[in-house]
Parts: sequence; C-alpha cells; structure tokens
Amino acid sequence: MERRSFIKGTFALATIGLLNPVLFRHDLAAEEAVEMPYKELLDDYLRGRKAEDGSSIMKLNIPDAPENGAVVPIEVTIDYPMKSDDYISNITVLTTKNKANKAISFDLTPANGMAYLYVNVKMGQTQDVVILAQTNKGKIFQASKNVRVALGGCG
Amino acid sequence: MELRGVVKILDQNYKVGDIVKAKIIVIHKMDTGFTKDKESGKQFPRFYMKEITAKYNGNVIAHFDLDVATSQNPVIQFPLKVTGPGELVVDFVNSQDDTAQKKVTITPAG
Repeated sequence: MERRSFIKGTFALATIGLLNPVLFRHDLAAEEAVEMPYKELLDDYLRGRKAEDGSSIMKLNIPDAPENGAVVPIEVTIDYPMKSDDYISNITVLTTKNKANKAISFDLTPANGMAYLYVNVKMGQTQDVVILAQTNKGKIFQASKNVRVALGGCG
Repeated sequence: MELRGVVKILDQNYKVGDIVKAKIIVIHKMDTGFTKDKESGKQFPRFYMKEITAKYNGNVIAHFDLDVATSQNPVIQFPLKVTGPGELVVDFVNSQDDTAQKKVTITPAG
C-alpha cells in the first residue's frame, strides 16, 4: 500500500513538472545558467516582422579590437527625431556567439530627447554586436559590427 | 546584500531644454552561470543585475532590462531632456530581488 501511494505521488509530481515547465523554470532561471542563442533572441524581438537596415541612421562607436573582451564599450547614437508620436521606443544590444547573448534592452520615451545608449558588454570570442532599435510604430532598424576579441571575457 | 551604485549627470552647466547625459554605475557581479571556480570546480550560480528604472520627477523616462552579457559592474549612459529642476531617482533590482535606490538632483542654470 505504501509503495503504491509512493509511486502515485511521484507520478503525479512528474506530471505536474511536465505540464508546468514554466513553474519550474522560474527557479532555474534564478540560479542556473540559461543558454540564449542569438537566433532565438532575434526571432523573439522581430516576431515575424522584418528589420530594416539601420546603418545609415545609427552611429556606432565600438572599438575594432578591444584589449579585453570582458569590457567592450558600446556607444550608439540613432539619428531619429524624438517626436511625441514618432520616436525610438527600444534599443536592444545583442551579441552573436556568446552562450547567453542578451546584453541590454533599453526602453525610452520622447522625454529622453535623443536616442543614445552607452553600455559595456562581455564577449567570449570574436563576433558581431547587433543593435536593434524599434520605433513606437513597430518599425525595426538593425545595425551590426564585427569585433575582434583576443582575450575572451565570458566563461 | 546591499547594492552599491552611483548616478550622476555628466554635463556641468545646462539649461532647461538641454539634453544632458546621465551615467549609472552599479558595483555588481554579472555571473553567467557558465563559469566555474578554478580551485573547487564549483559552478558560480547565475547572479546578475536585472532591472534599472530611472524616474525624473515621477515619470519613468528610462527602463533597462539587463542580462548576463552585460559586463561586470555595468556602466550605462542615457540621454535626458531637462524640463525643469527636479530629481532623478534610479531604482536597481538584481536577480535575487535585492533593491537599492539612488537619487541625483537636477538644477538647471538660469
């Protein structure tokens, strides 16, 4: 009888686990490493929409070969009028070949006056930095730059 | 754990209507969860700064979702249009839900 209830119990737990991966994922996400492939992140950002080439309006100030991959300064200035009804609402910085590729997502408002972001990112190896910018109307601009890393900074 | 951070306005003299840059520095680990301790071989748990929100006179003007690819002790700069004297309040939240708050007063000249 005890054995039976034990089996039942474990079975029930396993089913809950299978049905509710999100429930358990929350704990996992807090402590354990989560791989974030670049493609998944990009698809998640685009959600079926197409990114326009933003290299003409985005000014990137990124070193070609930084001394240390652990601290790579990324500076983006987007030449876009920040009107109250048409403005850049999000700037996201992604890397392409790290294990976890999301660096930062910045939500901005017309109160910022201009679209600008400076942030330091980690890079494990030579790869691209991809900057995605979205307007409040859903238009997406994309620009990227290859960065040569000699000394990786990402375990 | 207490979080340490700094918020400052980079420009010295500014007037109402100017766009200034604000700088945020947080002293915080950004452990990805993939790295191991060299001596014990133990894996460092994933531990990082998660969210930074900046409010200017009560309005949220910048919200940052950070993740583990940001470098250790993240440094962030963002623009800000000065609309009048006030306070820039920045809230920090890390992956273990520890919070901290830093303030800087904005006093435009003239």
